[in-house]
Amino acid sequence: MAKAIIVESLGKRFKRYHADRPNTIMAAVLGGFKRLKSVDVFWALRNISFAVEPGEMLGVIGSNGAGKSTLLHLVGGIGQLDEGSVEVHGKIGALLDLGASFHPDLTGRENAFVSASIGGLSRREVKRHLPEIINFAELESFIDNPIRTYSTGMKMRLAFAVAIHTNPSVLLIDEFLSVGDMRFQSKCLDKIRELQIGGCAVLFVSHNINQVKSLCDTVLWLKSGAIAAIGPAEDVTQQYAEYMRENAAESPTSERQTQVVPSSQSLAPQAKQGNFQSKDIVIESIRLIPGFEIESGQSMTLEIGYLPLKPIHNAHFGISISQSNGNICFDTHTAQANFKTGTLQEPGTIRLVIERLDLAGGQYFIDVGIYEATWSFMYDYYWHMHELIINSSASKKGILNPPLVWQKV
Amino acid sequence: MMQRKYRRRGRYRKKIFDKRVVSQRFDLLRELVGRDLKVMYKRSVLGIAWTLINPVLQLIVFVLVFKFVLSIDTPNYPSFVFTGLLVWNWFHTSLFQSAMAIVANRALIRQPNFPPAILPVSTVTTGWIHLIFAMPVLLGFLLLESTQIHPLFLFIIPLLMALQFILSTSLGYLLASLNVMFRDTQHTIGVILQLLFYLTGVFYEIKNVPEKYELLYNMNPMVHIIGAYRSILITGTLPSPTPLIIIAILSLILLPLGYTFFCNQSTRFVEEL
Repeated sequence: MAKAIIVESLGKRFKRYHADRPNTIMAAVLGGFKRLKSVDVFWALRNISFAVEPGEMLGVIGSNGAGKSTLLHLVGGIGQLDEGSVEVHGKIGALLDLGASFHPDLTGRENAFVSASIGGLSRREVKRHLPEIINFAELESFIDNPIRTYSTGMKMRLAFAVAIHTNPSVLLIDEFLSVGDMRFQSKCLDKIRELQIGGCAVLFVSHNINQVKSLCDTVLWLKSGAIAAIGPAEDVTQQYAEYMRENAAESPTSERQTQVVPSSQSLAPQAKQGNFQSKDIVIESIRLIPGFEIESGQSMTLEIGYLPLKPIHNAHFGISISQSNGNICFDTHTAQANFKTGTLQEPGTIRLVIERLDLAGGQYFIDVGIYEATWSFMYDYYWHMHELIINSSASKKGILNPPLVWQKV
Repeated sequence: MMQRKYRRRGRYRKKIFDKRVVSQRFDLLRELVGRDLKVMYKRSVLGIAWTLINPVLQLIVFVLVFKFVLSIDTPNYPSFVFTGLLVWNWFHTSLFQSAMAIVANRALIRQPNFPPAILPVSTVTTGWIHLIFAMPVLLGFLLLESTQIHPLFLFIIPLLMALQFILSTSLGYLLASLNVMFRDTQHTIGVILQLLFYLTGVFYEIKNVPEKYELLYNMNPMVHIIGAYRSILITGTLPSPTPLIIIAILSLILLPLGYTFFCNQSTRFVEEL
């Protein structure tokens, strides 16, 4: 059977405009029309080619701003291509901007009706599918209340139920799994699977690598608007995970307004310019005292063993504690405490004593980095270098577990 | 099976007159208009009656001022003003609301199957339905004042409505597109429409206008359209066809232009992140 989606050397260009581009008629007349022109262009996507067969699910992964959503919208016919072509055979169903078109004052039923019409169903079809939609969204007792009384989860459930019941033969999904609770999510996944088995081609954008790996046959990895890799889900997600691990330093350092260039050595060796992870000094070991499993509120000492390969003046040592999903709970570095390391020539140890570690119970990880004195690059960095288990008798929800007292006054 | 193909510049070949697509578009239009109407009366006590109360209140003001204070001598003045008000209000709301069609409906335009060009059409249709709702009241006025209404000429009314529909839609397309580039369009259009209201002769007769301004008045399409309604409903004469034919031709030229402009601008608008 023919392909459901064929994308050929697609290119999408965005224009950047003058910061003071006039946006009122008055300003345009006064300032002359010349500043209406764009100052430069950049390619959001370029040379993208792939095809999806009916019944196939293609995952699209990539970091923020890589062009995933733009690609999805272009396949959906939203926006103009600047190069190449997109061919879509069959009716498009979209899980994009779920629920954004709902009107707060109308009831769930009325909104479902409008949404389904927008999704391409005829009046008769909507009438036929409506009970099914309401049933799927589990909103039987609320369906005649105005949408403004709905919780976010309820709105999402309704929007998803409508989108999934428009009989699409091509389904575009953008990060939908914020929909409802775990049970509803798995119900959605089952429904998507069902459509897929029935011959629906699915294009699935997600940040969740595990999900992509388990759902998709093929995965497309976008990196700054170009295809970094496309192939079997297992291989591509693994490459991507490795790349992300090496780039993990990007987020904490960018918060410090520094210019640490992310490493990407294993994937693009030609890009390595010695400007990052120079390895002039390397992290050799990390020791957690009393151990990697402590009670919440206990003190902890971290010892970083380092090995300078040449004399280093005033390096900064940074330590952060993060969760398995990458959330950083705590981040500190020597410069913050005005601690000067002096000249490092011999192998040695840097010690950080945390008097109380008031984290909630759970699993955490220690990230360690050594940075150049002006923060312009990093010498060495390890993401999730060591596991840290915090035991707590208190609730495992949240991140903090400070000492506290309840009082009645 | 439907097939879509986007080429460079995003055009896609599709059977425009595919029966299924056309009937689906009609259903969609119906839903959008229904939504607008429902939203309008959802949270008000008087509900849909507002579509009548508004012009009736305006009518009372004009009759009080011009009939009793300034003693204007236009025959059948209430019918005269009410006809003008209803037709003008349709034009006014169509243009004013169409101006926001793209900017206010980003979420809809970002849905893959949604045809953005339907938005001004649905706005104009909603206004037209309000006009239809008000028709019985207008008819009541006409009968009460026993105007020279000519039953044979009534068949022209749907033609006039179609003409105004096309004119409003094409202007709506242009305004909505302009509003994407210049956000003050929607404020400016309110003032311009207010000005036009006074220059269209909604509450006075154009024949009382000094001759040197006549050309200016003749360039306003709404003068002719409202005039045509009045000659059918009040004086029972056939409206002069020439200006109406010119308006029809101009509207039909404007429509594809506005449509193209609208499609380009709405595409550009949803691309901006």
